[in-house]
Amino acid sequence: MKTTPLLEIASADGEEPVFKPGDTVIISTRFPVGHYRVPRYVRGKKCLIEAVIEPRALNNEEEGFGRNAGQKRHYYRVAIPLTELWPGYVGAAADGLRIEVYETWLEVAQ
Amino acid sequence: MTPSEELVRHLPNDIGGLPADRIDCTDHELLPWEKRCHALADVLDYHKILNTEEKRRGVEALGSEMIGRLSYYERWIVAFANILFQKQILTPEELALKMDEVAARHAREA
Amino acid sequence: MTHTHDHTPITVPDGAPGYYEVMETAMQELLAEKGLIQPAEVRRQLEVLDSRSPLLGAKVVARAWSDPEFRERLLANGRAACEELGISFYDDTGLIVLENTEQVHNLIVCTLCSCYPRPVLGLPPDWYKQKPYRARAVKEPRSVLGEFGTIISPDVEVRVSDSTSQLRYLVLPLRPAGTEDWSEDELASLVTRDAMIGVCTIEAQERKVQ
Repeated sequence: MKTTPLLEIASADGEEPVFKPGDTVIISTRFPVGHYRVPRYVRGKKCLIEAVIEPRALNNEEEGFGRNAGQKRHYYRVAIPLTELWPGYVGAAADGLRIEVYETWLEVAQ
Repeated sequence: MTPSEELVRHLPNDIGGLPADRIDCTDHELLPWEKRCHALADVLDYHKILNTEEKRRGVEALGSEMIGRLSYYERWIVAFANILFQKQILTPEELALKMDEVAARHAREA
Repeated sequence: MTHTHDHTPITVPDGAPGYYEVMETAMQELLAEKGLIQPAEVRRQLEVLDSRSPLLGAKVVARAWSDPEFRERLLANGRAACEELGISFYDDTGLIVLENTEQVHNLIVCTLCSCYPRPVLGLPPDWYKQKPYRARAVKEPRSVLGEFGTIISPDVEVRVSDSTSQLRYLVLPLRPAGTEDWSEDELASLVTRDAMIGVCTIEAQERKVQ
């Protein structure tokens, strides 16, 4: 399990996760032309960070165009209630979605 | 009529939450060529000649009509051709000539 | 709009290979001629794929049911625990094992494509890759489960995991009642692919007659 770096350690951009489990974040609303890996149905939705995925990995949207190496950031497993995704959801109120989202698609919730 | 930019902004494979039919629980034993196609995809990914995410993007780029009418592995093999042409690994001419050669060989052997 | 995919092999007189099979053969031959791949690599990968099936996942589940410490390791790092059992992962994917409990029932899907834990389950069934399942599993999971004959109580949370990254999922089904003294092999024989996707549960068993 990763531990927090020592105070005197400076880490590189993207090295440390920006978010931690329990954080409330919002999935960005943007509309890339061509390839994307964040489905439309979750864009703009508020979600809870459930887990930081280790190790860091490439941005899969860039991988889709042949980028096989380069800077890595974290993916996060996030939780969204189905009632938030679908107006009039008729299953149980507790029913939920889990999905992995790349760090560049998540914003702090205001 | 929906603005044309919706076609650009919404990938044809991004179907989470869209209306759909009952699930048809059929399955089929993969044809030998389909299995070979899958094995080829894996080998191309190992070599990073064509990684898995590029394959996904290549299938998306076929567009709705082809995606709707070609079966799963048919989409893969056509996507591979397009990507390999883009990377200048193969040319359309050499693939076309080789396909004629393969088809003729089968006709002779039949 | 319904997409109909024709799964019948394209047959022409004499059973000649269809257009796409010819393309696949031609492409492999060209890539081999150029030295980019070797035919032996494709043959070997066919063997890798043939060696993967739900029987592997069933072994993992049976071990997890029998061995609480393995279960903990499996839930902490699915890939590493599978590798302990000799199930190698030939690609760069990771595995998260989703534990079904009395409070939570898990279901896996890939809405964007067909991500599936192939190293431990083999290749996915057609329905998993097609629109009805992919579109509806994230929006009306209980209705989807119902089509598989699976009813989950309203006081159990249905949790749907949509694979979008390099992680794959495997559902660890609830161990059925009546199997308390079963061997791992006997337990494994109960575990179906559909239970490890999460569309089915495993029925309680009659106690073995002593």
